[in-house]
Amino acid sequence: MENDELVQNMLLELRRGILSLAVLSQLSKEQYGYSLLKALSDQGMEIDQSTLYPLLRRLESQGLLQSDWRIMDEARPRRYYVISPQGKAVLSTLKREWSAMTETITKMLS
Amino acid sequence: MNLIDKYVAEVGKHLPLLKGREDIEIELKSTLEDMLEDKAEQAGRPRDEAMEIELLKEYGSPQKIASTYNTHPYLIGPRMFPTFLKVLKLVLSIVVIVLLVITVIQAATATSMQGPEFLEVIGKGFGTVLSAAVAVFGNVVLVFAILERTLPEKEIGDLSDNQEWDPASLAKEPSPDMIKRGEMSAEIVFTIIGLVVLNFYPQILGLNFTVDGKWVFVPILSEAFFGFLPWINLILLVEVILNTYLLRANRWSIATRVGKIIIEGVSLAITVILLRMPGLLGFTADSFANSPISAETAQTLVTVLNSMLPIALTVVLIIQGIEMAKALYGLLRINYKTK
Repeated sequence: MENDELVQNMLLELRRGILSLAVLSQLSKEQYGYSLLKALSDQGMEIDQSTLYPLLRRLESQGLLQSDWRIMDEARPRRYYVISPQGKAVLSTLKREWSAMTETITKMLS
Repeated sequence: MNLIDKYVAEVGKHLPLLKGREDIEIELKSTLEDMLEDKAEQAGRPRDEAMEIELLKEYGSPQKIASTYNTHPYLIGPRMFPTFLKVLKLVLSIVVIVLLVITVIQAATATSMQGPEFLEVIGKGFGTVLSAAVAVFGNVVLVFAILERTLPEKEIGDLSDNQEWDPASLAKEPSPDMIKRGEMSAEIVFTIIGLVVLNFYPQILGLNFTVDGKWVFVPILSEAFFGFLPWINLILLVEVILNTYLLRANRWSIATRVGKIIIEGVSLAITVILLRMPGLLGFTADSFANSPISAETAQTLVTVLNSMLPIALTVVLIIQGIEMAKALYGLLRINYKTK
């Protein structure tokens, strides 16, 4: 029981860093929150709405994303997010770091 | 207003006061509408209230959802905290020391050092110290909580020590147990000068003038003061011995720190007694009756010296208090280290 909780907490910490990378990687094409959530889920990356929306706001406030409102349906305006030029630069660095990291960890765990 | 609208409004109520609250609400409503549509599609029937309830239950309580948007759930964040602690310690110790010294002076000067009146002054003094400490704590927290919310992130970063640290600085850092030789030597020299003047040349501490071709000496300090001379001599001598020993040993030990605390404690007591002793001044305006000094000047001199003496003694008292606190701190640190 105690171990389960420990594992859950450690997984949460692990995922916290990875989620930014996952979100940035999926926003080369603009998406609104719910469509992004489904796109991530379709690829096996489950993420809570309560985690995704605050994360999108944070990435935008850091200048890594851009967003704008579109009103297709009066009752349902949608906010579309897309990666910014700064976000692209950050993403390419993160990708390189990620590859190096996974290589190292894979070697360690094998 | 359907359930989703009510839910969104409830989330909005719990959102922290941040920009874009309306954006969050619109985006949340739009997402919930999308999710409900998916749900209805999956169920193969039109949306209804039961479906809304199920969806909102899955989504979570409005408070919980609102809290996820609060990216800064701290009163004083980790960036500000080290600076906050530094300022708090500094301000608290200054306020507490100053108020304690004032309490001791009040107890020594306004009461007969015993009985209910003395206890009342001491009690009130400690009450004041306690309430001032709480007020200082509250105010420092308030100031930092405001700074936390108003200073741009970059400036918060500048507040902390983010200069590059050089391990070589450790070598330059003297051990807190090391004796400061210059300070110690100066202390010994001045204590000896004080002893010599008080015992052999008390006339330095007075006013000399001629009346009809004869020298007249008016001492600044009264006989009552010199009645304490044996005690003062004893404590100064012990201090010279301790300081000389420390100069040879080159470091503080538990025994020498305890010795220092006792010496400073006795010195403090003597200073307090002197401070509350009436007639410390060795003369009155009448002492200058036959002198070239006019009666008016003599009166001014008496008034000035009468107010200067308690101030000088208070300064001595504060210095002794600081010395004692330093020794006490050193002792507590040693005990902590050895545990």
